[in-house]
Amino acid sequence: MKMPEVLLVDDNPADVDLTSEGLARSECSHRINSVSDGAEAMAFLHREGKYHDAPSPALMILDLNLPRKDGRAVLAEVKTDPALRQTPVVIFSTSQAGPDIGRSYQLGANSYVTKPAELSEFFSVVRSIGEFWLGCACLPSPEES
Amino acid sequence: MKGRTEILLVEDNQHDQELILQILGQENLADTTQAVENGSEALDFIFCRGAFSGRNCEPPRLVLLDLNLPRVSGLEVLQQIKSDACASTIPVAVLTSSWEGRDLAASYQLGANSYIQKPVELQQFREAVRRTALYWLVTNQRPVAQDTRATRQAAP
Amino acid sequence: MTPKPPGTGPEKTKLRILLVEDTAADSELILRHLRRAGFEITGDVVQTAAQFRSRLRSDPPDIVLADYNLGQWRGMEALAILREEKMDIPLILVSGALGDVTAVECIKQGATDYVLKDALTRLPVSIRRALQEKQLREDRRRAEEELAKKVGELAHSNMELEQFAYVASHDLQEPLRMVAAYTQLLAERYHGKLDEQADKYIHYAVDGALRMQALIQDLLAFSRAGRADMDLTSADCNLIVEDAMKNLAVAIRESNAVVNFECLPVVMGNAAQLRQVFQNLIGNAIKFRGSRPPVVQISAEQENGEWLFSVSDNGIGIAPEHLDSIFVVFQRLHTRQEYPGNGIGLSICKKIIERHGGKIWVESHEGHGANFKFTLPLEAHTVREVMILEPGKEHKHEDARSLVGG
Repeated sequence: MKMPEVLLVDDNPADVDLTSEGLARSECSHRINSVSDGAEAMAFLHREGKYHDAPSPALMILDLNLPRKDGRAVLAEVKTDPALRQTPVVIFSTSQAGPDIGRSYQLGANSYVTKPAELSEFFSVVRSIGEFWLGCACLPSPEES
Repeated sequence: MKGRTEILLVEDNQHDQELILQILGQENLADTTQAVENGSEALDFIFCRGAFSGRNCEPPRLVLLDLNLPRVSGLEVLQQIKSDACASTIPVAVLTSSWEGRDLAASYQLGANSYIQKPVELQQFREAVRRTALYWLVTNQRPVAQDTRATRQAAP
Repeated sequence: MTPKPPGTGPEKTKLRILLVEDTAADSELILRHLRRAGFEITGDVVQTAAQFRSRLRSDPPDIVLADYNLGQWRGMEALAILREEKMDIPLILVSGALGDVTAVECIKQGATDYVLKDALTRLPVSIRRALQEKQLREDRRRAEEELAKKVGELAHSNMELEQFAYVASHDLQEPLRMVAAYTQLLAERYHGKLDEQADKYIHYAVDGALRMQALIQDLLAFSRAGRADMDLTSADCNLIVEDAMKNLAVAIRESNAVVNFECLPVVMGNAAQLRQVFQNLIGNAIKFRGSRPPVVQISAEQENGEWLFSVSDNGIGIAPEHLDSIFVVFQRLHTRQEYPGNGIGLSICKKIIERHGGKIWVESHEGHGANFKFTLPLEAHTVREVMILEPGKEHKHEDARSLVGG
């Protein structure tokens, strides 16, 4: 079976590293692709420009506050696009604000996880994300465009 | 009647139901799990009607949903939950023995939060149920609770 | 009046008067008395109410002297006109024989004083006193306005400070998270691989970062306790304590703590904030334990028209000289090596309880545990009523419930 492709959308390279490290600790095979803003995320998903060869992600881990195109807008676009809406999207954000959480679910997020401030908790949470989504759940098979 | 329900288990196979409840019990979750055997009861529970019209109508934190159900199918239950303004934010994890690609696609299309195929091997099955429960009840941040009694849908 | 010594000119007090008098001779007499008493008089004599009102508007006097009987109207009606025009001008009745009863009535109705026409020597004194009292009134009014303005400015400044503290704490979290995470990763990855100095440096950095994180969290909690919309609802303290205990599950388990609570009431309050109070108090009881496993007793009773809660423990207790200061923010009684924490927990409790309209204090002896007490306002429905309304709820009120960690 092909290794699942994960698209990580986060503008903080330190968090991209931390999340990748955390997912690696889940010991569920996967490959990480990362982009640092919302516009890049959409280009990746639509295989535009330099992303013409990009794989179709089986899982998206999406931060909310992104430059150029905000995470909420990306979420809305993904979940209203018939070719993309099957992709599970996990919102991964420092925000614990009720409105942010509620809105994300309304826009169709599959899951919402807050980034813990404490390192060991952070790893524990990301490992849980990996163990569930990559080790347990069935991810939709990549669409042929 | 129990206090707060955290998990709604919709499973018509008695053996599977018992097994899942046992696994949840090991995580101290059995007391807050409501099990129903068919799709119609599942919807009654979610929308606080029929046999469940007296319950304190707080949405469960997770619905574990089998697809092959009598009376109302799992996909139909999924669609009704996900097309209701208040109930749509309840996380639904499809937990099915189906290996049909189209069930997988249809579930995610209809808005299932996740889809898990029941592993055949017992140990893997236990692990899958455990990971699923812990992910959706601990790791996942629940949406703001809304009273699902507000939109009662007519029984199918 | 004693005559002034020559060479020192008498100081004349300027006085604008409005004299309501229909007898010319009487007017003359009054004016003469006032001039002799050292007043430099300007003003007018009027007879009718209409004249009075119009002079009032065009040329407000310092004082009104009115005869009681004026033919068509009474001097007391001048008082009513003064009130209508919203003018705070003293009115002294200058009149012929006036029964004591009538005189007292007039003063009750608002006349500043009354002076008999055959005792006009009293008039200057009466006027001076009336003017003094008016001055005092004005001074006081001005002082109150100043005070109100200052209070408004302070409140605004306070709000800005609180907002600043909140925003600063909130924004500091992110860069702090980076420092804390990566210094810890450095510690993990390079421990033993660089030299001993490096290990030490990294350890100090990690320690500092973690303490900063804890401090920021506490500051935010303190800040939130002051900002939050009060959102008062019926809050069942039994459920709230259960929630608090869920959050303390690890600490309870590790210390084998026993927490007993019985029939706690439903109060008017903010459930999340009250949960924080119980969590802090129970958490402290566990943290500051002695050699025995902590036992915490939570109860409530009605006293003086409010609920009096008690959270008592069997821990190390608090010396009498510290009973007040522990509620002060950042005040700690032990070193960080002895007991962890930033010293904010109790000041958060105090802030929350006070915002609910209650008081919090502690009774304790060193070595004999502590009893934290606080008051909360009564709720409309008593616990008994709640029971009747919700028969499905499992309430056992006859026995104490205890939840044991383990």
